[in-house]
Amino acid sequence: MGKSYPTIAFYPDRCDGCNQCVEACAEFHSGTRNPAHSRIKVSQDGEEGAFFLALCRQCGEPRCVPSCPAGALKKDIDTGVVSLDESKCVSCQLCTLACPYGGITYNPITHQVMKCDFCDGDPVCVKACPRGALELKTGSDIYNGWGDLEDLFVPGISACQGCNSELLIRHTLRRIGPNTVVATPPGCIPGVGAVGFNGVTATKTPIFHPLLTNTAAMLAGIRRYYNRIGRDVTMLAFAGDGGTADVGFQSLSGAAERGEQMIYICVDNEGYMNTGVQRSSTTPYGAWTSTTPVGTVLRGKSRDAKPMALLMVMHNCEYVATACMTFMEDYYAKLEKAVEAAKRGMAYIHVFSPCPTGWRFPPSKLIEVGRKAVETNMVPLWEYEAEARCIDFTHPVEDPLPVKAYLSLIGKYNHLDEEQVAHIQRKTDERIETLKKFTREGDVKPIQDAA
Amino acid sequence: MSHSNYLIIGSSHAALSALEAIRIQDTEGSITLVTQEDTLPYSPTILPYVISGQIDPEQIFLRDAEALDRHRVTFKKGARVVAVDPANHSVSMDSGETLKYEKMLLATGAEPTLPPIPGVKDASCHVLRTLGDAVRLQSIAQKAKSAIILGAGLIGMHAAENLAKAGVQIAIVEALPRVLPGYFDEQAAGLVQQVFTEHGIKILTGSTVTHVTASNGTCTVSLESGGELSGDLLLVATGVRARMDYLAGSGIDIGEGIVVDDTMRTSSRDIWAAGDVAEARSFFGGKKRVNANLPNAVEQGRIAGMDMVGDSALKPFTGGIARNAYHFFGHRAFSVGLVGRAESAGGIEVDQVFLPSSVQYQKMVFEDDRLVAVSGVNTMLDPGIMYELVRQRVDLSEVKARFAAGPLQMGRILMSKIWG
Amino acid sequence: MARTIVCDGNEAAAWGVALSRPDMVAVYPITPQSSLAEYISQFVADGIIQADLMDVEGEHSVLSVLQGACLAGARTFTATCGQGLAFMFEPYFRTPPLRLPIVMSIVTRDGITPQCVWGGQQDAMTVREAGWVHMYCENNQEILDTVIMAYRIAEHRDVMLPVNVNHDGNYLSYGVEKVEIPDQEEVDAFLGEKNTNWHAALDPDRPMGVDPLTGGAGGLGPALFVRYRKGLCKGMQNALGVITEVHKEWEKTSGRSYAPLIEEYRLEDADYAIMTIGSMTGAGKDAVDAAREAGERIGLVKIKTFRPFPLQALREALRKVKAVGVVDRSVSFGWNFGPVYQELLSAMYFLNRHIPAVSFIGGLAGADITVDHFNRVIETTAMALHGEVFSEPVWLNENDQSPGSDRVSQ
Ligand SMILES: Cc1cc2nc3c(=O)[nH]c(=O)nc-3n(C[C@H](O)[C@H](O)[C@H](O)COP(=O)(O)OP(=O)(O)OC[C@H]3O[C@@H](n4cnc5c(N)ncnc54)[C@H](O)[C@@H]3O)c2cc1C
Repeated sequence: MGKSYPTIAFYPDRCDGCNQCVEACAEFHSGTRNPAHSRIKVSQDGEEGAFFLALCRQCGEPRCVPSCPAGALKKDIDTGVVSLDESKCVSCQLCTLACPYGGITYNPITHQVMKCDFCDGDPVCVKACPRGALELKTGSDIYNGWGDLEDLFVPGISACQGCNSELLIRHTLRRIGPNTVVATPPGCIPGVGAVGFNGVTATKTPIFHPLLTNTAAMLAGIRRYYNRIGRDVTMLAFAGDGGTADVGFQSLSGAAERGEQMIYICVDNEGYMNTGVQRSSTTPYGAWTSTTPVGTVLRGKSRDAKPMALLMVMHNCEYVATACMTFMEDYYAKLEKAVEAAKRGMAYIHVFSPCPTGWRFPPSKLIEVGRKAVETNMVPLWEYEAEARCIDFTHPVEDPLPVKAYLSLIGKYNHLDEEQVAHIQRKTDERIETLKKFTREGDVKPIQDAA
Repeated sequence: MSHSNYLIIGSSHAALSALEAIRIQDTEGSITLVTQEDTLPYSPTILPYVISGQIDPEQIFLRDAEALDRHRVTFKKGARVVAVDPANHSVSMDSGETLKYEKMLLATGAEPTLPPIPGVKDASCHVLRTLGDAVRLQSIAQKAKSAIILGAGLIGMHAAENLAKAGVQIAIVEALPRVLPGYFDEQAAGLVQQVFTEHGIKILTGSTVTHVTASNGTCTVSLESGGELSGDLLLVATGVRARMDYLAGSGIDIGEGIVVDDTMRTSSRDIWAAGDVAEARSFFGGKKRVNANLPNAVEQGRIAGMDMVGDSALKPFTGGIARNAYHFFGHRAFSVGLVGRAESAGGIEVDQVFLPSSVQYQKMVFEDDRLVAVSGVNTMLDPGIMYELVRQRVDLSEVKARFAAGPLQMGRILMSKIWG
Repeated sequence: MARTIVCDGNEAAAWGVALSRPDMVAVYPITPQSSLAEYISQFVADGIIQADLMDVEGEHSVLSVLQGACLAGARTFTATCGQGLAFMFEPYFRTPPLRLPIVMSIVTRDGITPQCVWGGQQDAMTVREAGWVHMYCENNQEILDTVIMAYRIAEHRDVMLPVNVNHDGNYLSYGVEKVEIPDQEEVDAFLGEKNTNWHAALDPDRPMGVDPLTGGAGGLGPALFVRYRKGLCKGMQNALGVITEVHKEWEKTSGRSYAPLIEEYRLEDADYAIMTIGSMTGAGKDAVDAAREAGERIGLVKIKTFRPFPLQALREALRKVKAVGVVDRSVSFGWNFGPVYQELLSAMYFLNRHIPAVSFIGGLAGADITVDHFNRVIETTAMALHGEVFSEPVWLNENDQSPGSDRVSQ
């Protein structure tokens, strides 16, 4: 696995243009608070009032580096920082012409170029921001840590192009490690060859097909026996939405109620994709599937999706979270918590899994679909910890895009009329309202009877 | 006989960009990097700073041996290609050696040309393209009192400034009416000239040299206007041409440079060309021409490398745009796309700010609500963002007034919204 | 020292379980199995069974948790019947091809509908093709002993199959008898090392993919699939010998002997015979005794092991008889005879014999099969012996009427 580095993330909606970051940067690098010395630059769109940031992205394949005739710029492999050796720099400024982000700029006072050097790993701008608009994203540390772990999943599996399952499985297995038993009931994940075909397997951990209906029960049996003989073995499920929310719901519900120790990951592609795109109880309202077709009488699914993750909150789980592979670091953080929670009871992660094949969108748009799903609040990212008895939004979207921004990316929603879109918008808003009631600020506590 | 999956001729910007792009995709394939220079890779652009002594010649290298090793590159220095045999996938070296390749990149850059002025050839004049040239000039500069430079392009101007900094009295002769004619218009060039003059450099624009004579270590340049200039040193920087003499008989299409398509393929299978040696499509007008500057070499080299290795992320060349950044005596200038645009044509709008007293100038040219050219002297624009606005033909119709009022801010905002 | 108690069949089964030292027991209530689940739970509560008690949410999960545990190396037990077995159908059919030596009692019960909660063998008979070993017990002592023997059989390397130890709902489940409880050490020595997952394990120390997709029209698939199927058949075939051997050994340990596959009763010189299965056999033997006294040359064959089907044993037993009457406690719809009868007809092809046979169906939904009913069975079979042809089954309880109330008790 490649290497990833920390980055400075900017949340424009939290920025009020106070310029503290700019001044802190200038002070750190020049001893004065003169903004001319700052490597971080905030711009405001006078008309819309929004704030924008120009700052070195510490690119993976920086354009400035090869454009330097003096060899003064380098991408540091260990820290990820694109560093400038001022003793070599001749101020030719070809780097400023190469950078498309305004990340390396000319300082008219020193007559030299300057760029963000990450302040030795602890950027002062981030610390200076009083509103959390700048965040040092160290999730990549986790990624790097995970990258060093063994890859337990073979290459060359037969997933459809643009399927997020491989990403999910590979990363998850790396983190959870070989001391794991993996259950994956009939569906896309065994369909891509995870358990194997005719005598060969695709996974280096023990893995098996449970029935579509009994994933949680089988894992419970295994874990209990290992507990009995004093071995700490992790139980992990990758189950589709059918095996989770429909026909597998009973055994999952029972296992959750009993507090069985496992990490149960529902890979929700909103229907029975492996059998040819039929509807499930998590298929959203309005969606076309082969059993909720679009014709003159029917206009896609007529019912709303089952709120599976929320149901699990009410199921004595130790940990419940929603996730989306577009937000990898968010997922890492959640998996970390799930690993801990699964030592005490059930950890349930509901992974939104857009399906290019079944939903009709180009494979290249997978990540974008995930992003829009979150940014429209169609798929809010949150987590629930039993001890805290509340839901926390892990990627709050204060100013969500209209659901149409998401729906229009996906073929299965092509036919929607205004009324249907309005319905989806309303339900999306309501869902957020409901979730908010369970947050720290909200006034409802989920029932939690786990021992 | 050596055989490589990838053979790269040249070790400068185009070559190294291609190398990086290949290694991203193919960590195993054998790569041979060949240069006629006796040193590790370096950039010609850095050479003026060697002359002034600002940079130690030992410090200019773009890659050290360890980095080349890490990339598992076979590096052959002091090795000149003399012929190419596309049919046999091989090249012949001046040593008589033959190198075989599966895919080859020609990144041999450009070399200085001498103008057809009587006497130039016999005047033991200097050029500046190689480290050898620079080191020679550096040592001469320590003794020389005065120098004459023919040509006020980037090379001539850089050399002038750096020789001046080394204490040499400079006169520049330029046939065209302004300095840096390849990048700047009259006003901008005027500001540059003004600064040079303030620093004691004599610049004669619109002056044609009729002949050159040399005697006792002194060069004398006769001008058409009747005057004469003498100096201890004559540097000719009137132009460069693609270095492709070794292609004679290869059958590869050449014009001003080696003719390439939008992924830098030459007319011969398995051979690519990039950088100063390549003749590629122009962004404006689409005509193929050599666009001999450093950013262009980097970009073309990357494209060539990606295509050689079959990188699916490859986006074809969008066309060469004249662009440069220029730092002189503590001032900065840059230009994107200014040259070759008819500013009086229909649909063209020009927005200019000219403040000669504070050495400031800014010019933006719009065509059909799109930015087609920008240049500035001592303005706080982000040249890279301006270049992207031009290259991506960003429609500014909605924001034009705001853009004109604050191109720095608006440029950054557009960057955030469109590609940032 | 062994001790003797008085208990019903469900408790006897629970003692058999306790002595076999399972690692995991899973329970879910259903009449008439419920008290077995309760005994087991109480035994766990009292420390008599030191196993994980999986009180799960339905029979489907009951068998699923056991499958998981078994794949991790556990010895397991559960019990069910009727609708519970029907709900368990999906994992049930998968246990044998996974070759998991799970032991499960079926406290046999008739199928709904009409809605009923009473004994009958419709449940167990319906799943006879699934690949489980099926053994039917005649009395409470045999239940206890057979549960213990079942582990030896199931975990035998040549078998590796799940075993159902079946006993009749109502009649044995609630019927109280004297039962001897063997010593733990005796049972420990008899069962030896537990052996559940040497072939297929979900164990990070021996990582493997268990049950990858297998089959399809190309590649290794078709041959591989046949290999698995034939392997299961082989296990079944091997079980015949193993069951016999294990019964002999248990006799050495406990002093109690049971016919392992079929029991032959007064067959030596019999002209004709009746066939029984399960708890009805006692009444059948009484009727045979009476008929013998009346001069009839009649004998009885009791089926203990119905799967694997004891073909060779039946060939021996029926070598000389000239007519046979078969009493079933369930119906094979479509054939419209009893399933045991139906299978006997198949067996006769292999016996190279064609003798008159009559199908009797009785004891459905808790109805009793009395000595009187058996007298009729014997008389009717004698008529067949003498040439009368019966092309339809005789429904033994068809005309039964008693003054008893129709009160429902579950
Ligand atoms: C003094 C000076 C100042 C400059 N300033 C600027 C500036 O400010 N901005 C700007 O944009 N550009 C500037 N340039 C131009 C810039 O340096 C070139 O555009 C750029 O270096 C082109 O890169 P390239 O890789 O195409 O070729 P080059 O840099 O010319 O490299 C060619 C390589 O090929 C090798 N080679 C050539 N022929 C052979 C052969 N037959 N066999 C083996 N090897 C061979 C050479 O050894 C060399 O390694 C300047 C150039 C000079 C000389």
